[in-house]
This record gives sequence, C-alpha cells and structure tokens, in this order.
Amino acid sequence: MEFNSLLKKSKDSLKNLLTNFLVVVFAAVIVIGAIASPYFLTKRNFGNILQFSSIISVMAVGQFFVVVTGGIDLSVGSIAAFATVVSAVLLRQGTNWVLVFFFALLLSAIWGLLNGILVTKAKIAPFVATLATQSIVRGCAYLVQSGSLIGIFNEKFIWFFSGDIGFTQTPVVLFLVVMVIAQCFMKYSTFGRSLYAIGGNREAARLSGIPVNSSLLKVYAINGLLSGLGGLVMAAQLTQGSSLLAKGYESDTIAAVVVGGASLAGGTGSPVGAVIGGLIMYMITNIMNLLTIPSEPQMVVKGLVIILAVIAIGDGVPRTKKRKKLSTKKTDN
Amino acid sequence: MARDVLEIRHLDKSYPGVHALQDFSLEIEEGEIHCLLGQNGAGKSTLVKMLSGIELPDSGEIYLNGEKLELKNPIDAQNMGIFTIHQELSLIPELSIAENIFIDKLPKNRFHVIDWKMIDAKAMELLEWLGFKMDVKTQVKNLSMAQKASIELAKALHHDAKVILLDEPTAALPAPEVKKFFQILQNMSSKGISFIFISHRLDEALALCKKATVLRDGKRVGTFDIEGKDEKFLVKAMIGQDLKSSIINSVLEGKAVQLGNGGTDEVVLSAKGLSNGVHVDDISFDLHKGEILGITGLVGSGQNDLALMLFDGKTLDKGEVSIFGKKVSIKRPKDAIKHSLGLLPEERKSQGLVLGMSVMHNSSLASLRLLSKGSLINRVLEGKSVLNLAQKVHLKGADNLSQPVRSLSGGNQQKVVLTKWLLSKCKILIFSEPTRGIDMGAKEEIYGLIKNFIDDGGSVIIITSEISEAIMCDRVLVMNHGRIAGEVLHKDIKTEDSILNLF
Repeated sequence: MEFNSLLKKSKDSLKNLLTNFLVVVFAAVIVIGAIASPYFLTKRNFGNILQFSSIISVMAVGQFFVVVTGGIDLSVGSIAAFATVVSAVLLRQGTNWVLVFFFALLLSAIWGLLNGILVTKAKIAPFVATLATQSIVRGCAYLVQSGSLIGIFNEKFIWFFSGDIGFTQTPVVLFLVVMVIAQCFMKYSTFGRSLYAIGGNREAARLSGIPVNSSLLKVYAINGLLSGLGGLVMAAQLTQGSSLLAKGYESDTIAAVVVGGASLAGGTGSPVGAVIGGLIMYMITNIMNLLTIPSEPQMVVKGLVIILAVIAIGDGVPRTKKRKKLSTKKTDN
Repeated sequence: MARDVLEIRHLDKSYPGVHALQDFSLEIEEGEIHCLLGQNGAGKSTLVKMLSGIELPDSGEIYLNGEKLELKNPIDAQNMGIFTIHQELSLIPELSIAENIFIDKLPKNRFHVIDWKMIDAKAMELLEWLGFKMDVKTQVKNLSMAQKASIELAKALHHDAKVILLDEPTAALPAPEVKKFFQILQNMSSKGISFIFISHRLDEALALCKKATVLRDGKRVGTFDIEGKDEKFLVKAMIGQDLKSSIINSVLEGKAVQLGNGGTDEVVLSAKGLSNGVHVDDISFDLHKGEILGITGLVGSGQNDLALMLFDGKTLDKGEVSIFGKKVSIKRPKDAIKHSLGLLPEERKSQGLVLGMSVMHNSSLASLRLLSKGSLINRVLEGKSVLNLAQKVHLKGADNLSQPVRSLSGGNQQKVVLTKWLLSKCKILIFSEPTRGIDMGAKEEIYGLIKNFIDDGGSVIIITSEISEAIMCDRVLVMNHGRIAGEVLHKDIKTEDSILNLF
C-alpha cells in the first residue's frame, strides 16, 4: 500500500516534469545547440552563457514579482542604467565600494517605490506609470552623469560583481542566490501567497484581508532593487557607468518572464520559470552567434521564439476552448 | 392543435468524463412557451449550447419547420431563426438602443453611409410591436434590467427569430419588472413566436408556461402539462428523490421553517446610523449571539451595499459599529477580519474566490497569519486544517485540494468560501445571496452549514432578495430605498406576504 502510493507519486511527478513544457523547451534548445555547433556544449561556452545571462536573470526575477500581481514594469532598464551611473560617479570620488553598493541599491529601490506609489496611490495603470518613469529615470541618469561615460577602476567592486571564483563567476552565484530566495518566498511565505492571490483576483484578495496596496508597493520596490543589482553587475562587467546602458532590457525581462510560463494577466508563474525563460532566450542568441548568423535575422528568430514558447507553454493565451479542455482533463485524472 | 416549430431528435453530447446529454428529444409548438427545468449540471446549458450553435452535438438532429439544421456557430443559429438570450446580456452599454439592435449589420444608404434615419425608425417600430415606447437613441447603460432584456427581444425580432431561448432571463430582474417582462413574452407568443424558458424559479415557470420538460443527469425525465401541478411535483422530478423532512420541502409546503433557534439576548454586533450617502440611509440594528438575522428587500434597495459597508468600511460615510460591545473602526476588510467578521460576497466568482488558485490556497487566504510562523506558512498545518474543514462542510473533491476552484460547481465553490471563513475562526458571518446560482440539493446543504455555524456559537446575517430564504431567519429586516421599512420576527411570519407587504 505504502509502496504503491509512493510509486504513484513518483510516477506523477515524472509526468508533471514531462508535461512541464518549459523544461521540455529548455532541454530541446540544449539539444538543438549541441547539434548545431560542437562548441555549444563546452564548459567555456556554458560558462559564458551563464555569465552573460546573469544580468537578465536577476532582473527577470524582479520583473516576475511585478508581473505575477498583474502589473508590468517598463522602467527596469532605466533603473539599471541609473545604478551604473551612480556607482561609477561615487567610485570615481573614492567612496568605499560597499557603501556604493548599498547606496546604489537603495536609490534603485526608491525608484521602484515611486513606481509603486504611482500605481497604488495615484492609481495610474502600471504600463503608463512605468512608461513615464522609464523616461524620468534615464533622464536623471544623464543629469547625474553630466558628460560622457565614466570608467570604473575599483578592483574590489569589479571582482565582487564580475570576478572568477574557480568553478564559476560571482554574478552566476549572485543570480542563483536571488532566484532561490525569490522562489522560496513565492512558495513558502505569506507574502508570496498574497502576490499570487492579488494577481489572480485582486478584489477577492482584498476582501480576504490581504493588504493589496502595501504588497504592491513592496513588489515595485523589490523590482527596482533587483534592477539596480542587475545594473551593478553590468557596471562591473563593462567597467563603466553610462546612461546609455541597458536599453531594451524591459522587453528582454518581460520576454523571459512570459516565456518562463507567467501570464501577463497575473497570478501564475515562478521566479525559477522566469530565469529558465531568460536562459532559453539567451541560449538561442548564443547558438545563432556560434553559427555566425547576423543580428538582423536573429531579431526575427527571437520574436518567433517568444510566440512559439508562449503557445507551447499555453499561458499567453487568455483562456481558449483548448485550454479549458486541458484543465478539465487534468481534474478528471 | 398548433404545429411543431422545433423538433429535437436524439441529441447526444459527451465531455471528457461526463455524459452531459443523453438521447434527448423535444418538440416545441408554434407560439408555445416551454419551460426547461433541472438542477445545475442536469444538461440544460449543454442543450442551450447545441441549439445556439456554440457547440456541436455528438449525434442527433435538430429540425426547424421540418428542415434539418446544421448549426456550426452562433451566427448560423441566428440566421436560421433560433435566437438565444443569455443570462449575461450581450448588449453594449455605451451604444444606443437602436445601435444595439442593428449591431451585427448596420444598414447603409445609397452613398454607403450608415442610414441612421432608417435604423432609428425601424428600431422604434420593433419596440412598438413589443408594446412600449422609448427614445431609441438612449444609451443602453441608462436602462433598467427589464428594459435591457426587452431590447434583446427586439434584437431577436429583428433577426426574424422563430424560437427564442431564454437562459435564466429573470435572474437579475426585480420582482415587479418580471411581471412586465412576462407580459411582453406572452404578447410575442400569441403572435406565433416560440420560447424555451430556462429558470431556477419554479413559481415563474408555473405562472408563465403551459408545459415543462424536466432534465436530470443529462436525461429527459418527462414533459408535463403544468396545469394542476405544484412546485413540489416539479422539484421532486428535478431532484429525483423524496423531499420529506427537507427544508426545501417545508418551504414549498408554505411552512415557515426556522433555520436557527432564535439566539440569545447578548448583542454581538450593533450598527448605529449607518449611511453611505447613496443607497444606505441611517440604518441601525443589533445582531444577537446565535441569531440568524435576515435583511431583505427588492434588488437595489441597498441591502448588498450594506454588507460591503459593514465589511469594507470604504464606503461608510456616517455611523458607528460595535462588535462584542466594543466600538470598532473598520477601514478595510483586514480590520473586519480582525474583529472576527467574515463576508461571503454576492459575486462569488469575482469577489469571493481566486478562481485559478487551488481549493487549499483559497481556503487559507484569510488565515495566512494564523497559519504561519513569522512570514513563512506552516504548510503542514495549512494542509491539515483545510482538509479537516473541507470534510466538515462535505466539500466534493476534498481528496484533491490542489485542484483549481474554477473546476468546482457553484455549491462547492460557496463551500470553499465558507471554509475560508471557518478557518479564520470568525464569529460573525455575513452571507450575501448565499444560494444564488446554486441548485436545490446544494442549497439544502448550505442551509445546513449555516445551522452548524450557529450551533458552534456563531451569529449570522443573511442578505437576500429571495423571500423564501428570508422567512427562514429568526428575524427579518426589510429594506426599501436604503432605509429599514420594517422588522418581522419569525413567529409573526404567516406567509411570504407578511414580508412582501413591507416592500
């Protein structure tokens, strides 16, 4: 009896894994990469993939927090750029790098909080509010920078965000830590549960006593903070601060989150999914680079991948007949 | 003898796991209003879907005026002369009456410009045919529910409908408007249009229709001439078992059953001078421990605003509330929950539940603090507590608490909302329209659960526009235009009229 139920359980979890399209797509991309280029599966190339996608991964986790509540944040790239500029300016003045680290993150979180205030207090739609701050924050980055890009020469700072630690690099550890903490938060904490409820049905969540507005404030602040963290990694990798950096990162993070199985309507998905989504996108770029495909067709392919992945995972579609049938089948089993 | 307009022969439809409609046949005569009865899940909506072309039958045929129909989509059905009016009306609020009637094809004049003059004139004509006069340029959002339903009828006329399917058309209509709406239906039927009328309200079926077909578990139980039959007969046919000693039976027999036991003298909640400046005006009342207090009135008399006001506090303009003798300030639902209040809202799906979330997570939503240590949820405790309560309320599917609430029936969804509040250990429950959209069998269960809650030391406010529900309460407040028009004790309730007279 015990054994049978255990067997059934493990069978179920295997079935879940296989029906989890995200994992299937992820594996498929790796297989395709291995076939397409012998270089793809080398340790060095994989190290590169992880290192370069670490920025997007950290920021995708942040974007996920907003998306799961049914919101969207277009200002993440600008906040990241602002963080590179602020840290570069402060480091140039000789400020201690640890102080720079905290100060840049604090400012980023405040920018996020501003988004949250616009959304909850001024009741502006997230798309519009963050469209405005996207412009404001990048403008402020220009003003702080007041000139051309600023180089970063603080070695400790560079090592902390972009150093080698033998088997891998610091940013990889950083994004894994962020991902695991976020995943645990979403799964095990009251805060995470509240976010799923708010995204699933805001009014029902409110009438169940969930503090909707304060949760949303936190969510946008967290996203600001993680965007800033992404910015710091970027600053260290490029050894510069510039208001021109991280353009288009809002679309990359949104793509990662959506490919990772979250619905823009809110209430679904996971931080790990968002990271895997980002990795899928980056691996595809990497494969095309290895095949020396020029960047213009790459853009076309990336767009198609988003569409295909979302159809395969089935969460981009609001609720068609097909999905309804799928879900009834599931409950019948 | 009138001839048959619509013939349905051996319709059959299965969904994965359910045989929704089995070998169903039915004939509708010209000018007949035919009632279709059955519990939720009996197959009524499946039949409607076949007839309106939303879904194809697995086998079987549909004939209209002797001609076999192939209904591949709703437009086919409309063109053939079968028009469906769904419970949620499909009018566009921002458009005018005339625009709504002609929405699918606005006629153009010879310059290929929309011919507004003709549209307005024709719309006017249709409305006059139905028997009422209105400015056809009025935006639909400004109309009453009954007027909106009539506009749907005009739309059906414009499509030259032979058979009109009415899927619970009166669910949102206040009582006096229902009468008016029925007059229009009878008027149309005398001119040769046939209707299939689907409703939960048996009294309406008895008043309006001559024949009724009862469905149970996807099968046709029988077609009855309504003359000489009473509600009890029909309910028996719908449920398929004897009702002896059930609450519903007593209600049908005209006895005023008392759900609770009258309560004690201890006041648990006291409201003084509640106003919101619009729909609720200077309302005061006391709720006693162990009491079931009913608040009723016509739809829109303010009783549902009152529920939200007590629980939400957002719309509260003036007045004060005391709970367990202490004056409380409720600014948001969180405060109300802290003072051991719970609300089962009127709109279960949009206000009470997160449909995509699991039964388990919905149930624990109001008790996250109770179930967690620090900021982490104790998932073992959560699982145990929810399972325990789910079994207590006889939740179907208690063995699979990870299924989404979306896949449950209305009655079971209501049980999940109830579980949520039982888990939060609340002492006072406000039920807003507790059995709306719930079938007979589940209704009985919900009433039983309300009783259990009282027996466990709780107190209950039931806000309802169903009079049969109101007369089960220990005490009933009748609201009219936002004020309390009267108060009736259970022992003084002789018939439904004693409450109706206060409306």
